[in-house]
Amino acid sequence: MVVVVLPGILASEAGGRKRFELDAATVGDALRSLPVADRVLDERGQLRPLVNVYVDGRDARERGGLEATLDGDETVRLVGAIAGG
Amino acid sequence: MSVLVLLGTRKGLFLLEGDEARREWELQGPFLTGWSVFHAVLDTRDGTIHAATNNEVYGATVHRSPDRGRTWTRSEELGLPEDSGLTLEKTWHVEPGREGEDGRLWLGAAPGVLFRTDDAGESWAPVEGILRHETRDRWYPGAGGMCCHSIQLDPEDSERMYVGISAAGVFRTDDGGESWTPANKGTAADFLPEPWVEVGQCVHKVLLHPGRPGRLWQQNHCGVYRTDDRGESWERLEGNGLPSGFGFPLALDHRDPDAALVVPEEGAENRVTCDGRLGVYRTDDGGASWDLLTDGLPAPAWGAVMREGFSSDRLDPPGIYLGTQSGSLFISPDAGDTWTEAVAQLPPVLSVEAAEWS
Repeated sequence: MVVVVLPGILASEAGGRKRFELDAATVGDALRSLPVADRVLDERGQLRPLVNVYVDGRDARERGGLEATLDGDETVRLVGAIAGG
Repeated sequence: MSVLVLLGTRKGLFLLEGDEARREWELQGPFLTGWSVFHAVLDTRDGTIHAATNNEVYGATVHRSPDRGRTWTRSEELGLPEDSGLTLEKTWHVEPGREGEDGRLWLGAAPGVLFRTDDAGESWAPVEGILRHETRDRWYPGAGGMCCHSIQLDPEDSERMYVGISAAGVFRTDDGGESWTPANKGTAADFLPEPWVEVGQCVHKVLLHPGRPGRLWQQNHCGVYRTDDRGESWERLEGNGLPSGFGFPLALDHRDPDAALVVPEEGAENRVTCDGRLGVYRTDDGGASWDLLTDGLPAPAWGAVMREGFSSDRLDPPGIYLGTQSGSLFISPDAGDTWTEAVAQLPPVLSVEAAEWS
C-alpha cells in the first residue's frame, strides 16, 4: 500500500485524518484518491504550483510529476511551499 | 434579537455575538484556521455560514457551516470550464439568494467571474453571461486581481441583479442572469487615456438600497457615485465635504435611502486614512454634503479599511461595523454617531458582515 501523509491544513479538510493508505499506480492516482484532491490539484487536474509532493523523500516533479509510477510501498508526503506571511 | 458579526481575516474567521443594544460582545474563533477569509455571511434563510476562503498554496474555495462554525464542509464542485481559458484564482464574496429561492446563492470570484449554486453551496456553476461577456477583452485586473466583489439582488424584481468587478465595472441583468448590460455611464476611469468608457471602470464596492431598489451607491477608484435609475446613469458625489474620492468600503442605512457612509483614503498612490485619522464620512442628503464622524475612532491612525470591511445591521438605529487592516473592529450602535473598539489585535480584517437573528 502507498502511504500518503497530509500537512495540517489538508488533514483538517479531511476530517482530521493525516495519513492515508491506498492502492495507486502513479502519483496522480494517489492524489486523485484523496478527499482533498481538489485542494492539491486545480480544476484542470494539474498539481497546484505551490504544492510539493515528495515520494520517499524525492520531489515527484523530478520523477515525472503526476505520471510518476509507484511500486506500492512508497510514502508520498505533501508539503506546502514556503510562501505567505 | 441578537446580532452576529462575521469577521473574515487574513488568518481565519471570527464571530462576535451581541445583544440588541450592541454594547456587549462575545468573541468566538478563530475558525477556518489557515485560510484567508475574504468574506463570510450568515444565510438567514437557514442559519448556514458561507465563507469565501483562499490559501496561497491550496487555492480558492468556499466553506460552509450549519452550526455557527463548529463543523465545516468545503464546496467541491467549483471551477471554470477548460474552453474558457480561465482558471479560478480567488473567491471574493458570497451573496445568499432571496427569500423563497431555497438553496440558491451567488459567488463572486476572480478572474471576473460569477457562480451560482442551487444546492446550498455543494456545487457551483459559472454564470455564462459573465464568463463569456462580449466586453471581457476590455476588462483588466485591479491591484487585488480581477475580483467580482459586489453582488446585489433587487428585492422587488427577481430577475434583476447587479455585480461589480474590478476593473470591468458594474453590470446589470434584467433576465435572471442570462444577459448582462454594462451600467457605468457617468463613472470615470481617470486612469485611462479616455476616462469615459463603456467598461473598464475600477468599481470598489456597490450597494443597493433595500427600500428604494432603483438607487445604488458606489465607491469607485475614481469617486463616490449614486444612481437613481438602476445604473443607467451615475452622479459623482464629491467636492462637498469628502476629502477624497478614493476609498473602498461603503455602508448604507436601511431606514433612509439618502444616507450612506464611506471611509475615504488619501488616494490611489497612498492608501491610508485621510488626515492621519480613522474617520467615517456620512451623508444624509443623497451625497450633497458629507460629515466627518470621529467620536470614538482613533487618531492618529493610518490603518485603512478593506472593501468588505464595513457593514450595517437592520436594527433601528442601525449598527455600523468597521474592521481595520490593523486588526480592530469598531462598532457604532447609533448609525455612526459614536464608536467603540469592540475587538483589537486580530489578524488584518478583510471582511465584516452583520446579521440579526432570533
